[in-house]
Amino acid sequence: MKSTVWRTVRAVREHTYLAVVSTGVITAALVLVGMFAMVTTNVRLVLGSWERDVHVSAYLRPGGSADAHTAVMQMLQSRPEVAAVKYVSEAEARAWMVERTPELAPVLDELGGDALPASLEITLRDGHTTPEALAAFVGSIREVGSFDDVDYGQEWVTRVDTFLSVLSALGVALGSFIGIAALFLVANTIHLVVYARRDELEIMRLVGATDRYILAPFVLEGAAQGAAAATLANALLWAAHRGLLSRLQEVLALALGGEGLRYLPWWGVGAMYAAGMVLGVGASWGAVRRFLGRLP
Amino acid sequence: MIRLYHVVKSYGEHDALHDVSLTIDKGEFVYVTGPSGAGKSTLLKLLYGAERPTSGKLLVGGVDVAAIPQHRLPQLRRNVGIVFQDFKLLPRRTVGANVALALEVVGAPAEQIRRRVPAVLNIVGLKEREDSLAGELSGGEQQRVAIARAIVNDPAVLFADEPTGNLDGGMAVEVMEILQAINLRGTTVLVATHDQGLMDRFPHRRVRFVGGRLVQTSARARA
Repeated sequence: MKSTVWRTVRAVREHTYLAVVSTGVITAALVLVGMFAMVTTNVRLVLGSWERDVHVSAYLRPGGSADAHTAVMQMLQSRPEVAAVKYVSEAEARAWMVERTPELAPVLDELGGDALPASLEITLRDGHTTPEALAAFVGSIREVGSFDDVDYGQEWVTRVDTFLSVLSALGVALGSFIGIAALFLVANTIHLVVYARRDELEIMRLVGATDRYILAPFVLEGAAQGAAAATLANALLWAAHRGLLSRLQEVLALALGGEGLRYLPWWGVGAMYAAGMVLGVGASWGAVRRFLGRLP
Repeated sequence: MIRLYHVVKSYGEHDALHDVSLTIDKGEFVYVTGPSGAGKSTLLKLLYGAERPTSGKLLVGGVDVAAIPQHRLPQLRRNVGIVFQDFKLLPRRTVGANVALALEVVGAPAEQIRRRVPAVLNIVGLKEREDSLAGELSGGEQQRVAIARAIVNDPAVLFADEPTGNLDGGMAVEVMEILQAINLRGTTVLVATHDQGLMDRFPHRRVRFVGGRLVQTSARARA
């Protein structure tokens, strides 16, 4: 092992330019994939918040007693798909409407105090906001008979769901394309780097080196380059993340709410190190094996 | 030391070597000679396992090279030295590092490498150039480094493929003198060459190939 480390250090010293090129290309590939992962992570957060925003408005029949309302609320709260139920009185509904659309105030005054009905605002738990689950839930509470109408923005939910499905498919396609492009970029560059050292491989073979002896420093160098590239890529992505945060703070606050633009999660950073090392080791291993196969 | 039995090496329709049978004894110095394309280099490549014969049997030090599995080739090459016309050195490494490579590959301890490399460089007259970069040496010096690398593991046999092909007269003579000295220490030496002048100046047994056929073999020369 000591000898392998020493031979690896010697190879990097002798071929510094090639080591820099390999590390640079792995870095570029990781930045590409990392950027995609970061965008995907944040888009998923936004879409997740949209999904969480889905709630059901159940408009109560006028004239119901407070006890009846409480009983219905308790019934709803006991259901596993319900996260929260909030009672909104006629007055609260009117105040909410006037606050958002002040010009409607005279119209509401003319219609009288019960122009807007009291309602129960039902928030559902994650996983119960698909169009099918929502439709089933709404159908079941309509049967209760306490409500004039139940509204959950069916069209909006269906659109969001379709949009999410399309986006998810696009993400997989684009992610695969970026991944494959990064793989080709790294594999071909390291192939050229190994090609530049073909004389060394041939000489080692001719003086009796085993394939394992020849491969070992290349593999170690690939792992080191992968780790260095992951560090560089993380630094670049972090800088880009901070830059975007400071320049686009207002837009991001609007789009992402209080959460702001997120960096990759800890396991994403770990995955970049793993990917960098796998890329470095795999590409070096493959390229050297290919050359050794051609050598006498 | 070396035995060939009806060896054939074909590339498609073309026979590079045709039904070659040959015996070279331990400690011999033999020229493999003939015009370009005669099969000299092919013979040497078969002997150090860079090529496999189409048919026939080759024994080097009792090892059947034709049948040796790929993963055992390094063992064979550690017991033979090989010298090429184009030296095959690592130009950005020092002379000492180039010679040490053959010892590192067999896992020789650092102490042995430190002791052995200057000793071998002394044999080829390059002890003072141990720390020079190989790429900065003259052609003759580079070939001497290549010879030093080839003999540093004390091989039983040394194969040299046109070792003087890239050298001028004086340097070629120096290289031949070194090869002869190595032979006198007991190493079997096989030199592929078509340099008639050198063969006359350093007379040894000759095996002559034409068109892949062994057409003439002279008697063993007296030392």
